[in-house]
Amino acid sequence: MGEQKKTFVVTRFDPDRDDAPTTREYEIAVQPDWKTLDALNFIKDHVDGTLAYRWSCRMAVCGSCGMMVNGEPRLTCKDVLSQYGDTVHIAPLANFPVVRDLVIEFDGFMEKFERVKPWILRAKEKAVEEGTHRQSPEQLADFQHFSMCINCMLCYAACPVVSNEPAFLGPAAIALGHRYNLDSRDEGNGARNQVFRGDGTVFSCSYANECSEVCPKKVDPAAAVNQAKIGALLDWAKGLVLPRGGPE
Amino acid sequence: MSVPAHPQAMAPSRPGRTRTAPPQRPDQAPFGGRYRSHTLFGATGFVYLLLGLLALEAVWALGGGSASWSGFQASLASPFMIAIHAISFVSVIFVGVRFFRLFPKAQPPRLGPVRPPPAPVIIAALYAVWIGASVLFAAILAGGIL
Amino acid sequence: MHRFLLRIEPIVWLLFGQGVLIGTILLTSWVLVVGMLEPLGLVPADALAYERALRLGAHPIGRLVLLALIALPLWKGAHHLRHLAIEFGGHARDAVVAPVLYGLAALGSLAGLFAIIRL
Repeated sequence: MGEQKKTFVVTRFDPDRDDAPTTREYEIAVQPDWKTLDALNFIKDHVDGTLAYRWSCRMAVCGSCGMMVNGEPRLTCKDVLSQYGDTVHIAPLANFPVVRDLVIEFDGFMEKFERVKPWILRAKEKAVEEGTHRQSPEQLADFQHFSMCINCMLCYAACPVVSNEPAFLGPAAIALGHRYNLDSRDEGNGARNQVFRGDGTVFSCSYANECSEVCPKKVDPAAAVNQAKIGALLDWAKGLVLPRGGPE
Repeated sequence: MSVPAHPQAMAPSRPGRTRTAPPQRPDQAPFGGRYRSHTLFGATGFVYLLLGLLALEAVWALGGGSASWSGFQASLASPFMIAIHAISFVSVIFVGVRFFRLFPKAQPPRLGPVRPPPAPVIIAALYAVWIGASVLFAAILAGGIL
Repeated sequence: MHRFLLRIEPIVWLLFGQGVLIGTILLTSWVLVVGMLEPLGLVPADALAYERALRLGAHPIGRLVLLALIALPLWKGAHHLRHLAIEFGGHARDAVVAPVLYGLAALGSLAGLFAIIRL
């Protein structure tokens, strides 16, 4: 059976040696059922052990392996290699500082994520003796798809506002904050809307919809961000007439 | 090659222990691939700003008497202004189509106990209002009614 | 300025959103008839003659429609151009660009209100 070869043009960057990122080409034989991650693993195992990149679960649930493949943000473990021609460009995720090769610095994302308080906020915790929170399937349906986010950050790579406005909270952080705003067990809308209207404001979103186009888990962050704008608007209007209350 | 992103894009509040390379925008941005539609959508801001100012000029001329109104109408009759309005018409249609496609998912999942109708129903209703109101308004402006 | 812009953002966004929705719905026929068909002579000559135009425009509903036609597109335009300026000119100048654009929209809306009352 004939071997198919592809050339991988991979971004390399070693902060101890390089002023700026460069590229290196690797030509390898590929299997028809490979994902892009399989090619990277082959390169690292057999051709160039110095190549650095993140990966883990190989099944699109951990969110580790996000990279730019031929200019598009992709999960390399999910990305079918046979869709590409003879040359495949692999670069680190766009809009993030680059630590080394294909590894990006994502502490900036973690900081934005924590600011939206992505956990159940209640004025008073329900005592264990009182039993569990009851939630109907309809109540779950309100927010379930927003909870599917695996923090892969492909949406941040695609978002034009993230490119231009460093303070913007970004699609995943806002979607996850909104997920809790919609959760019937949560009482933290007031606190989160303060964050949504502060630095990093949800209103910076220009509804490009790129985030939802690239999301591998169909979270639809664009829907969340734009619903969050309405929530923030109502919160602002309410704040004009009512004093602020609720857990902070 | 790609364009640099803002140098502080996604930067953490404290720098890490090693030097990082600056963030880059995706290769396609801002005019390529999917970003083209988004950039065009933003650029319609020029059209809307102009149309708002022209409407202001129209009302001002109307309030200034018959001669000033005729003067305003005459100013719209130049090939240049007609071309501007033709481009504006295309822009307005583009804005409507793109906005209506994205409108349903921006609605909250419910208001109290009431859920919004399915997306296709919302979009159909929006187009019905757009077409209906446009036909009515055009008929009024063109002298057909009132 | 940054704090002020954050505080007014919800209302600017509401005006922008209505500029897109109501503005687009109203502008379609306005641009078609007033901007193209009438100058090309494709509507009856007296359709937008002064007396009829004034009668329609001075009617309470007419005044509301005219206010929407002036103000809502201005806010939509200002908001979109602000984001375009950030996209191509960087975020640093937003503290100057945003008040200029929103100021233009606000002044235009006020001028529109004045012009409509004057009818």
